[in-house]
Amino acid sequence: MPFMEFEGKKVEVNEEGFLLRPEDWSEELAKMLAEAEGIDELTEDHWKVINYIRQYYLDHDIAPMVRLLCKETGFPLRYIYQLFTSGPARGACKLAGLPKPDGCV
Amino acid sequence: MGGKEDRGEVARFMEALANQRLTLERLRKRITRRLAILVNSCVHCGLCSDSCHYYLAENSNRFIPAFRTDRLSSLFRRYHTWLGRRIPFWVGAKGVEELSIKELTDAVFGECSMCGRCAINCSVGLDIGFLIREARKILAELDQVPGGLQSTVDKAVTTGNNMAITEEELIGTLQWLEEELQQEVADRRAKIPLNKVGARVLYTLNPREPKFFPLSIIAIAKIFYAADEDWTISSTNFDATNYAYYSGDDQAARTIAGRLVEETERLGARILAVTECGHAYRSLRWEAPNWLGKRFDFQVKSILELIADYIRQGRIRLDSSIHSAPVTLHDPCNLVRYGGVMEVQRYILRKAVSNFVEMHPNRERNYCCGGGGGLLSMSEYAELRLKAGKAKAEQIRRTGAKVVAAPCHNCIDQLMELNKKYKLGIETKTIGEIVADALILPSRRVNSAIESASKKG
Repeated sequence: MPFMEFEGKKVEVNEEGFLLRPEDWSEELAKMLAEAEGIDELTEDHWKVINYIRQYYLDHDIAPMVRLLCKETGFPLRYIYQLFTSGPARGACKLAGLPKPDGCV
Repeated sequence: MGGKEDRGEVARFMEALANQRLTLERLRKRITRRLAILVNSCVHCGLCSDSCHYYLAENSNRFIPAFRTDRLSSLFRRYHTWLGRRIPFWVGAKGVEELSIKELTDAVFGECSMCGRCAINCSVGLDIGFLIREARKILAELDQVPGGLQSTVDKAVTTGNNMAITEEELIGTLQWLEEELQQEVADRRAKIPLNKVGARVLYTLNPREPKFFPLSIIAIAKIFYAADEDWTISSTNFDATNYAYYSGDDQAARTIAGRLVEETERLGARILAVTECGHAYRSLRWEAPNWLGKRFDFQVKSILELIADYIRQGRIRLDSSIHSAPVTLHDPCNLVRYGGVMEVQRYILRKAVSNFVEMHPNRERNYCCGGGGGLLSMSEYAELRLKAGKAKAEQIRRTGAKVVAAPCHNCIDQLMELNKKYKLGIETKTIGEIVADALILPSRRVNSAIESASKKG
């Protein structure tokens, strides 16, 4: 399995950079994942999305519907796509430390 | 997957032996005529090599479709021909013991998107995609389907859709979209009707639309509204996809397709309309009647066919000046090459955009985006998948267009990734989204499109 070097430790990720163990996640690690995504700096709005997805995942063991994401953050849908150009799954969920969602993404 | 790797050498060896035995059993089953012709007919002319997007990207012999066919054929020949059984080396027949299961899995799941481009370039007309799926069927029986693909199939079978969206979540999302739609068309009567018995059209979705990318649903709802269509969505059977087609599990494929067929019959719809999704169209239109062993009393249509009908019949009107920048079109393999839906998307785009440019080659000769065959769900092959998208990326770049219309949600995801990797600077859209933006709504209804068009004029 591939891995990322993070703070002197090896963090296991899949071939597309999704964490294998969500408990490995930390804010610092999210910053590193963001760099790989081509996001230079995580803004407050990025964090709002990431934190909501992360908390939802810890509570429900699955990524939230994008409707909830918009409702809870107060962001319009198109703004979410601007924040995470790879989309909510490959972009936001990956940065929030979720495993890759199933399905057509 | 991880668990398997942790096991010891001995366990793995035993497993390999057991798998070989099982593979033999599967291979001894009756071989179909279609397969028999396939495995005996390749003349090694090599025409297929340049047709394959993997070979074009990697330039290595193992990606030549004929080579791939040969390895699989040797396996079938070994156990299904008289000479193969008696003097295998004489006919170049290899046994399973010479071909590791891992190698076979990588070859048929990771190194071919079953796009079928080699088939139309084959001098003797072999459908290599079919052969690959037959091999996937064997591996599916042996539990060797890559994890992400298998779990997508499992979710569909156990929850009714491949992203495990609950009925409550779907309804909540569709209500939210309905409100957005009503705002957009400034008409409270604009609806997304749920579970309506007797509706003419039952519309289906790719679960990634309600889950992550719902703009395409609003777009289609807006088109239905403009055309005054009598339509509905089922809150329990809305998933058009069928990843069991890709995994080679016919039993699961039958279950998944059967639910939608039953739901269409229950609601009494005359048309089962498939969202912009290549393999879903192929599965429902062409494979499902065979899986289920019956003719349907309703029609299966791509949503594109309906949109084209609305334009032809004057049920919707479009203002193409909204889209003045060049727009090109990607032809999804399962919709176009295998599905036969080829001209309606071109007819629609010529009406909806003012500068439509074809990429070359196109229609049934178009290159796969590289993300077909279920590959998006198999992370282990991601690197090769993106490399194999090179032919598509170059095709797009040559058109100079910055908007790519892609009538397949799966292709759109791959194109978004190709956009990053190859720095294409493009935007990918569904055809529904392009049409919805160009709609001229009937004058009794307020419409932003008319306003912006008149401002321009």
